[in-house]
Amino acid sequence: MLNLFEREKLDLQSLSPSDTAINVEGLNLWFGKKQVLNDISMKIPKHRITALIGQSGCGKSTLISSFNRMNDLVDGCRYLGKVEIDGRDINHSRENVARLRASVGMVFQRPNPFPMSIYENVCYGLKLQGMSLRRTLDDSVEQALRDAALWEEVKDRLFEPANILSGGQQQRLVFARALALQPDILLLDEPTSALDPLTTLYIEELMISLKKRCTVIIVTHNMQQAARVSDYTAFIHQGELIEYADSDSLFTMPVKKQTEDYITGRYG
Amino acid sequence: MKSAIGKIYTADKRQALAVGLAASMAAVLLLSLISIVIFILIRGSSYFWPASINTIEYSDFHSGKTEQVFGQILMSRVPASTFAEDRVIEQGLEQHWLMSRVENGELIQSNEIILPTQIVSSRNELDIAELRLTDGTRAFIAPAGIRTEDREYVDLVEFSDVHKNVKILQRQLKVIRDEHLSPIHRQIAQYDRDGVALDAPARVKLLNEFEHFQRAIGNLEQALNGYQLVVRDAMGKQALVPMGNIVSVNFPNRLGFWGKMGFAAQRIWGFLTEEPKLANTAGGVFPALFGTVLMILLMTVIVTPFGVLAAIYLSEYAPNNSLTAAVRIAVSNMAGVPSIVYGVFGLGFFVYGIGGTIDSLFYSDRLPSPTFGTPGLFWASLTMALLTLPVVIVATEEGLKRVPQGLRDSSYALGATKIETIWYTVLPVASPAIMTGVILACARAAGEVAPLMLVGAVKFAPTLPVDGDFPFLHVERQFMHLGVFIYDGTFHSQVNSQGSSMMFAACLLLLVCVFGLNFVAIKLRSRLRKRYARD
Ligand SMILES: Nc1ncnc2c1ncn2[C@@H]1O[C@H](COP(=O)(O)OP(=O)(O)OP(=O)(O)O)[C@@H](O)[C@H]1O
Ligand SMILES: [Mg+2]
Repeated sequence: MLNLFEREKLDLQSLSPSDTAINVEGLNLWFGKKQVLNDISMKIPKHRITALIGQSGCGKSTLISSFNRMNDLVDGCRYLGKVEIDGRDINHSRENVARLRASVGMVFQRPNPFPMSIYENVCYGLKLQGMSLRRTLDDSVEQALRDAALWEEVKDRLFEPANILSGGQQQRLVFARALALQPDILLLDEPTSALDPLTTLYIEELMISLKKRCTVIIVTHNMQQAARVSDYTAFIHQGELIEYADSDSLFTMPVKKQTEDYITGRYG
Repeated sequence: MKSAIGKIYTADKRQALAVGLAASMAAVLLLSLISIVIFILIRGSSYFWPASINTIEYSDFHSGKTEQVFGQILMSRVPASTFAEDRVIEQGLEQHWLMSRVENGELIQSNEIILPTQIVSSRNELDIAELRLTDGTRAFIAPAGIRTEDREYVDLVEFSDVHKNVKILQRQLKVIRDEHLSPIHRQIAQYDRDGVALDAPARVKLLNEFEHFQRAIGNLEQALNGYQLVVRDAMGKQALVPMGNIVSVNFPNRLGFWGKMGFAAQRIWGFLTEEPKLANTAGGVFPALFGTVLMILLMTVIVTPFGVLAAIYLSEYAPNNSLTAAVRIAVSNMAGVPSIVYGVFGLGFFVYGIGGTIDSLFYSDRLPSPTFGTPGLFWASLTMALLTLPVVIVATEEGLKRVPQGLRDSSYALGATKIETIWYTVLPVASPAIMTGVILACARAAGEVAPLMLVGAVKFAPTLPVDGDFPFLHVERQFMHLGVFIYDGTFHSQVNSQGSSMMFAACLLLLVCVFGLNFVAIKLRSRLRKRYARD
């Protein structure tokens, strides 16, 4: 089984189904006439942090959004291929998308607290799941805020509007909001790009601590960050998966020329 | 030539000219706005302000005799052409006076138009009183004393005590009439319908009771008639005014500024809480205010859900095709349809169509007298809801469009369905815009007149649409509306200058209502914005 404390290297090509969180097979995606993802196949291991890197506009956000079908919300989006979570094709027409999104959490680049109190923000997903008992809600909210390292800062003003929080606090609130649902997979789209270094460090520690509970996939433009926190890294270029390997080898000995050019800053 | 102009008007100067022009346009706009408000304010508040009473001596135009009267000047204006022929323009503005005289022992009020040159002398006397009577008329007299049942002369100092006694008598009369006589009347009518014999003991007993109360009323009325106010006109002629007909006696010439202010405050209160009198030229506007507010409330209850749901459908669900675009254009064109068209539609479709059908289905026992098949509060509210629907739809759509996509995405990403996202996130954020739309709709409905007159608003309604009888809210009744009230007032203004001042007062009230509504809208919006603000 998995060993959480050692960076044991898994063979990404022949990952066993029990170790696979997401299995992408031949994924093609179009926005209107424009093809954004081109035949992507990859297996994302469970309880690891996988980073997606690549030039702006290469399709990282689109790829990560196809793991919880957020692309459905875009007009004129079509896709072909399989995305399997727990052996289930989530692109199947009978998939319950709301339930899928509740179990695959997502944090966006800009914090978007709802115009409600801090408490209600964290409760939002839980209430949608039909949880209404005050006691359990209270406990879940506290636990989620502790997990997101925000509890100490907001415990005295849980019922104040969330938008009085600072940007960094808001981002952690958004983490707490997603964590409250205890997702199996957490998708992070440039979660720290608007934050100061200290808060970034907080969030990075948070991600590492989350490994125990879920699979984390992070999109980042920060090479150091990818190298620091991620176990595996995928480099995407113009909608194609160029290289996908454990982070140590990808950053130290990239196989492909394009990867090397990108991580050494020759373009992008 | 061209180059010369180019030299004179440099770019700087052209810009200054443009700015100057724009600024002066804005100034004109501001000026006209301010003058509307000030005009209405002055004319409207004169209805409340206790003007002084003059004792004037003036010469009659035809006989040339001079006469002394108590009167009050209501307004002055340029002479109407019909009178101009036998008057010289240089004589100045004609003055409209309200005067009181005693003729054949009767107190008489008259509206008279005189010219400044006719007035021989004019002065203010402290002891002249303004009498307000229960029918809404005002009279100017010199009170000389009070006559009671047993005493020939009581000093005016005791007026309020005597008046209190009179009121007690009046209340007793009312109690006997309402609580004893009317039930007996109804019972006798019931006997008649049931064919109870004329000499049946129950009926005889009832008739005896009836006579007993009738006698009591006779006695009370006699007692009441014993109380009279002795008044004199400016010529010293005497008349008796039954105390029961008097609402108040006051001496405006004795009041200082603050006294007048207090008096005006009282009059404003009366204006808001009393019924109109003398065919809407005196008294208060309570039924019209009440009707307006109730109609707006009902309209809001109808238009808000419809408008918001329609806007949600249009902006969140409708496919992005030409049909939706056509619907959108139709909605914004609906706002431009003349309001009288809505009135006609309401009358034809709601009142006669739907109302008539309801009557024939559920109230057929009351036909041919209609219940819902006649203009009434509900149909008026429905018509106004239809009229203001575009306002609410457009404002709501505007608000929905401005809700950031990121917020929606966050909601979806937490497992919310589309409807949950709209309900829990989008609508709260759009609520300031929705609020604005609804309040704009209210202001529109408060000021509308023409369609309302077709579908239920009347210039005089005998009963309020809310009373103590089940089901308390009678939406089928006709009601009074401030706009219609003002419209009605403009007709009286041509014959009766007192009525015109009432009209301006009602106008002022309408203005205050609309400004108040807008003020509330702004406050509410900024509070909601603060709550749902995003940085
Ligand atoms: N809603 C949309 N409609 C049409 N095209 C889109 C849409 N969203 C993204 N695209 C296009 O898809 C491509 C990939 O976009 P995506 O957002 O996935 O890039 P990205 O790798 O996340 O870039 P960045 O690092 O700047 O966030 C881009 O060319 C973009 O123009
Ligand atoms: Mg992106």
